[in-house]
Amino acid sequence: MAIKKIAKVSHNKEEKGLRFTRRMAWIFGAPSIVAQSIFGWFPILVAFVVAFQKFHIVKPCTYTGWDNFAFLLPSNNPLTTLVFRNTLYYAALSLALTFLIPILIAILLMEMKKSVIRVMMILWFIPVASMAGIIIWKYFYNTQYGLFNGILVSLGLPTLRWLNDSRIVMLCLVLPGLIMYGPGLIYIATLQSIPDELYEAAELEGVSFWQKIWHITLPRIRPIMAMMLILAIIGSLQIFEQPFVMTTGGPNYATYTVVYYIFDLAFQNLLYGKATALAIILFFVIMALVVIQRKYFRENIDV
Amino acid sequence: MPLIAKVGRRRFKVRLLIGAITSILWIGVALHLFPVWWMFTTSLKPAREIFEFPPSLWPKSPSFICYKLIFELSAGTWAGGNIRVLDYPIYVYIKNSIIMAGGIMCLQIPFTALMGYALSKLYSSRWSRIVFLFCIGTLMIPGEVSLIPSYLILRHFPFPTKHIPVIPFTNILFPHYNFLDSYWAVILPGMYSAFNVLLFKGFFDGIPTELVNAARLDGASELGIIRRIIIPVSKPVFAVVTYFSFSSAWNQFMWPLIVIRNNKLMPLSVILYKFQFALTQAPPTGKTPEEQRLMAAGVGYNGLMALSFIESIPVFIMFLIFREQLMTGIKLRGFK
Repeated sequence: MAIKKIAKVSHNKEEKGLRFTRRMAWIFGAPSIVAQSIFGWFPILVAFVVAFQKFHIVKPCTYTGWDNFAFLLPSNNPLTTLVFRNTLYYAALSLALTFLIPILIAILLMEMKKSVIRVMMILWFIPVASMAGIIIWKYFYNTQYGLFNGILVSLGLPTLRWLNDSRIVMLCLVLPGLIMYGPGLIYIATLQSIPDELYEAAELEGVSFWQKIWHITLPRIRPIMAMMLILAIIGSLQIFEQPFVMTTGGPNYATYTVVYYIFDLAFQNLLYGKATALAIILFFVIMALVVIQRKYFRENIDV
Repeated sequence: MPLIAKVGRRRFKVRLLIGAITSILWIGVALHLFPVWWMFTTSLKPAREIFEFPPSLWPKSPSFICYKLIFELSAGTWAGGNIRVLDYPIYVYIKNSIIMAGGIMCLQIPFTALMGYALSKLYSSRWSRIVFLFCIGTLMIPGEVSLIPSYLILRHFPFPTKHIPVIPFTNILFPHYNFLDSYWAVILPGMYSAFNVLLFKGFFDGIPTELVNAARLDGASELGIIRRIIIPVSKPVFAVVTYFSFSSAWNQFMWPLIVIRNNKLMPLSVILYKFQFALTQAPPTGKTPEEQRLMAAGVGYNGLMALSFIESIPVFIMFLIFREQLMTGIKLRGFK
């Protein structure tokens, strides 16, 4: 009887405590929820209004139906096709060349001695401010004084026009990503959480080097790879700074990207509605790619 | 060393493999460091060495004159005439960048830490899922969708239109503020970061709930739990978040370029871009007069590299401070 009563009391106490923690949850979450509402979700809702409006500087904005989207139709506007082709080309090139390298580096780095890992970690991930990095590379590519042409000349080879050559300019924009291993940090952190015992057990069973990578390492970092792939797709489709600073969209529109076009529409021509309409189209393209990615690259691990 | 078997390490083939891996890694390190080194050595070169072709790998007569020139040039106290590439001295822009990045960090880190804790330990599992999706959902949506609306919202905060509604039954307009051309235009949208919530929740999920519940039964308040239990074990994740949010705030470029038109309030990244533009954007007819005068004064790519180096220093310092924690603080589980 007494035990039952105590149990009931403590149950009540727990209930009350639980309700209290639920309330605390909302208090703790409030600043983030407010900020996320005002600067996260509210602008997105507004975007779907702005995209159907024509912006006037003094007069009130007027609704124009699907006009902004019609303006962007490939049949009306050849730039739309161009910017999407450039952006997808950049995304494909950068994912193909730079996505796997940090993973490989992280896996190989784990083979080193602990002391070597510590030293290499510092050297590997020494950061440069992003604008500084872009400008250094622009200097490398400079046709008159740049390092790359300098190397070609001292080797007795013909010089290249780098950023002025529309055939290789996209490759030039991707190249800096090859030796920036930022994402490697996240893979290393994940790899370190794999218990050594797994590898030791595999070793006793005579599992080879490649089999260990394939059956132990990769399944563990797969969820992170899936996430990083999504972020890389989204990030590379939003490419703006590199072409804006290095090539200003040239030569002959070869590096004119979607976000660059959005930027020009909005802040050079004050066509807010059309710019937002293009941003919404970009959003749906990204969504489509993410859905495809999730279909073929499940996050679940079945080990 | 998990992949290579512990037995048989002396075998020639295995030693060859280890040697190959080591050399690949060191070559990668060298490639990664080369731009940094190039930036530094170029900034030490005097003007005439910049135009040597092919460029030299180490300055023949290194000097810090360029750094001095950069500060003088921007201040407009130039001996050789009034060249003013930048309207204000460099330290004004350094200060701007520090205020913006600092403001963002001061708001973002506590906000998202509390959210991460609430998601991991306070909400019921159903609400936790819903709020979590609310918190990270915007990660999937490209920032450009909200670019123009955010700009409009900041102009008549919090209304996205020019026409401010009237408070009912009066003819007073709702209070509204124009945050454009102020530090707030950069700080306010940076108040929250979905990626931080992801990092915090991932890490707090690893702290046993029993520990928190036990403290709660002992009568500890939630803030007490955070202070006594969560913070002492979460130093790594705080380090990671500090590093990430600092470097992303410091590197912001497009947003400040849009919302800040006042030259005095621009951050360093925008100024670096403008300086670069003035220096390298040669018109088809040759060099601009501005550029010619700059180069006559001894500032060319060396000045650009000096400014780039100055911009990179804070990110680099942050990295050195937090490097140990960066390895242990990241506990992500994908978008789950």
